[in-house]
Amino acid sequence: MSEDEPVSDGGTASEPVPKTETVETEEEHPLEWDEPDNNDLAPEERSSVSKRPEKQDDRKLVTGDATFTADQARRFPQLVHAKVLRSEIPNGRVVDIDTTDAEAMDGVHAVLTPDSPTVPDGKYTSAGQSYPEPSPWDMQVLTDRVRYVGDPIAAVAAEDTETAAAAVEAIDVDYEEYDYVLDPEVAFSEDAPQLFGDDDVENKIVGHDYSRNRMSHIEGRLGDVEEAYDREDVHVHETSWETIRQSHANVEPHTTIAYTDEDDRQVLITSTQVPNHTRRQLAHLFDIPIRDIRVKKPRVGGGFGGKQAMVVEPIPLALTLATDRPVMYEATREEEFYAMRSRHPMQVRARSAVTEDGTIEALELYALSNTGAYGSHGMTVAGNVGAKPLPLYSKVPRIHFEADIVHTNVPQTGAMRGYGAPQGTLALEGHLDEVARDLDLDPIEIRQDHYMEIGDLDEIAGMMGGEGAERRIRSCGLDECVKRGKEAIGWDDIDQPEADHLHRGIGVALSAQGTGVAGDELGAAQIMMNEDGSFHLQVGGVDIGTGADTAFVQIAAEELGCDERAIIPKTSDTDNTPFDYGAYASSTTYISGRAVKKAASDARDRILEWASRMLEEPVDALETESGEVYSTVSGDSVTFEEIGYESVYGDETREHILGKGSFSTEESPPPFAAQFADVTVDERTGEFEVNKLVVAVDCGVAINPGMAEGQIEGANHMGYEMAVTEGITVDEDGHVEVESYDDYGFRTASESPPIESILVETHEPTGPFGAKSVAEVPTNTVPPALSNAIREAVGVRITEMPITAEKIRTKLDDTTT
Amino acid sequence: MNIELELNGQSRTFEAKKTDSLLDVLRQNGYTGAKRGCDTGACGFCTVLVDGEARNSCVVPASKASGAEVTTIEGLGTQRDLHPVQRAFVDSTALQCGFCIPGMILRSVALLEENPDPSKAEVRKGLSDNLCRCTGYKKIVEAVLDASDRIDGAGVAADGGTRVENRTTVGEDAGGTTSDCAGGDCR
Repeated sequence: MSEDEPVSDGGTASEPVPKTETVETEEEHPLEWDEPDNNDLAPEERSSVSKRPEKQDDRKLVTGDATFTADQARRFPQLVHAKVLRSEIPNGRVVDIDTTDAEAMDGVHAVLTPDSPTVPDGKYTSAGQSYPEPSPWDMQVLTDRVRYVGDPIAAVAAEDTETAAAAVEAIDVDYEEYDYVLDPEVAFSEDAPQLFGDDDVENKIVGHDYSRNRMSHIEGRLGDVEEAYDREDVHVHETSWETIRQSHANVEPHTTIAYTDEDDRQVLITSTQVPNHTRRQLAHLFDIPIRDIRVKKPRVGGGFGGKQAMVVEPIPLALTLATDRPVMYEATREEEFYAMRSRHPMQVRARSAVTEDGTIEALELYALSNTGAYGSHGMTVAGNVGAKPLPLYSKVPRIHFEADIVHTNVPQTGAMRGYGAPQGTLALEGHLDEVARDLDLDPIEIRQDHYMEIGDLDEIAGMMGGEGAERRIRSCGLDECVKRGKEAIGWDDIDQPEADHLHRGIGVALSAQGTGVAGDELGAAQIMMNEDGSFHLQVGGVDIGTGADTAFVQIAAEELGCDERAIIPKTSDTDNTPFDYGAYASSTTYISGRAVKKAASDARDRILEWASRMLEEPVDALETESGEVYSTVSGDSVTFEEIGYESVYGDETREHILGKGSFSTEESPPPFAAQFADVTVDERTGEFEVNKLVVAVDCGVAINPGMAEGQIEGANHMGYEMAVTEGITVDEDGHVEVESYDDYGFRTASESPPIESILVETHEPTGPFGAKSVAEVPTNTVPPALSNAIREAVGVRITEMPITAEKIRTKLDDTTT
Repeated sequence: MNIELELNGQSRTFEAKKTDSLLDVLRQNGYTGAKRGCDTGACGFCTVLVDGEARNSCVVPASKASGAEVTTIEGLGTQRDLHPVQRAFVDSTALQCGFCIPGMILRSVALLEENPDPSKAEVRKGLSDNLCRCTGYKKIVEAVLDASDRIDGAGVAADGGTRVENRTTVGEDAGGTTSDCAGGDCR
């Protein structure tokens, strides 16, 4: 691959795509979707879907029997422990490194530096994406060219973590320090310190200009926004917004155990969202055949995008190759904040042209994204700033989106729940609120007049970069989300507090996400019948605590016509489960779930064949229910267990009943959220209390409503954090100031507002039993809804997150003087 | 040095280094239900009961714990016979990834022991030394309130848990999603 050629980003459009002919799109995106007969079930016809069976892994989790990666350490008596020496300067070069003392320490098995034989010297991206990754190959496993405080320089394996840490301390490093840049606006100028030369990066991304620290520039447009701004009958509004560097703060640190198995193959037990991508990326980086690497995901303690990345795996692999011992690397909590990943902080500008009567003629977003020292997920996240929020307003004729993604000498960012949509949603939903106020319009009506409805052809998603593609809208519960959200928050009748200095306001914000990366996903599944009529369900899909395994089982149980307890999921082990892109982009239930449905359908076909033989009735007279096949004609039945034994031990013919399913699609239907925030503000101090958050979500058919509610509540909680906390702050020397959970604004149970989640059911015909995604869309909406609520309550607008009492107070002072 | 614990109702003696925390000793000896989240006492994932009180075991020096009565999550119910608090968490869909949950459950047990009929606000306050990233706490609070109804004010009995190493889930393929009760007789 030529270094200079911007590579395809695997379906995530990065350049404006010309509008296709309407006739073609009617054929390509028909409104009527040819779904299987059983895909659209009325609630009373469902046996497992939209029920609330116990989550598959709950019993082992509540008893402590479940094992996360670090819990498996005791399986390896020869295990050694890894620690990493990380850069203490924000920009520079290691000119000398002395490992003599470290190597001489008792209990130290290896000290690796960038030149060590088992350390790959190739460039790669840690982003766990499709191939070729739409992220630049700009980093190395260990590096002597450091670009942030935390860049890995050397790695140690020792008998225990204390010895490993002491050995890291004993390594002497001499740096040549370079000037550094922390501010993205400063970085994006020609005389700023430059992080990369053109030769330093492979797999460069569209719009890169490393002389100005820009890793990518993207742009998309529909119609001509300038034409609308020039009109005399419109009001042009412009607003600017800023978002925090949010930490995933995943409760289980990034952890990997790497070892060589008895077949001389490399095995990684690792806390990941992307086993298959990690296997491929390790194979490329270490020049090991893909077949000789096995990636196994045990229980995972949360990912939220932070583990949609090969963040730590190469280090224990390099160490196990060097020591011939199993190696565990468990990031410390401090490393989680300064050396793993975070949400891209952004400055986003919104502009619109709106007529007096509230017709939006043009909408525009511009994002300046700070990707930090490396560019993982930089372009695709920025693309979603436009590609997720803007399509929501499909009736707007002119749309423009542009983003610059720049490097600074701070820790690198990555994927995080919402993936750019929270940043864009803050700007767009805050902006529309300002427009509505200024023009004396109803903030909900102006949205309703322009938002998506069933039958729309969404042309916007595909031209803004990110994860979108042109799509037909076949399910949309926005009206119902707004209606039920308004009722639950009490939109039409709120009481003001009695005290004069207290003011109450409600804010609203809407959001759309996607369901998987359009045209760039694959999931696969296999189901095997046992003699007793039970099944083993093998799925590549990745449950990182979301309940995905349970959703797979429910989908299979519904399709097969049996109890969930008859299905044993075996998931996320690259040696034993079919291929899957992994847990990201809100894809798992939809993509991997469809693969499960296909596999179960395939198995069901074989079960019916056997039943037909055993009952001596034609297949089309047979149905399955509760683990039995029965004849709709004679009423005779045969149990799955009888079929299981007969199929394996039968006298005349034998067959192991197997079902297979592989699924990919060009579709990415949007789920929707209507968020309401109820806040009381003290005008004397600016202090505010969130009385309640209400969020109504259209996720199609919720496969498991309890789990879906949990996703929504957790997402809103994470969104609340984005609105009211500082996130990861960096001091003027480039050091991350957050060293522990105590330093980070992690909200406890008593500091968290009440959250009411409302499921609005629609039927998405492209999804398994009508489902679409749920877990990301409610992440996007709290910051704008809260900003809008405070504007409503006391008349001041906070555009720079976090919203603090001090900022409110200052603005109140400004308005009164 | 040796550490003696009355662990989940059994007298046990463990070897420990001077610098070891109670969490280190527990995890080294197979009681991995207590999770390591921060090593600074800030997250509560390592919460265990020490002499009936919920403590962050990562900041309890092992030497100081010697002689104490310690209950870990392994000492509550089993998958086939859940403790009422565990049962309530499962029934309320109160957990997602579950990493914080052993600590959260033990904190809840201690909370309910002290205050068998807490208000919602008291539960929120009582759980505030234990972080959760997945749930927004709502269903956890509901689970604890539900558990308080189930327990009916009675004391909590430890049944003497088994160590993880005795369980069949640990083996070469423990990385999968094997469920001990997959046969269907325990739900």
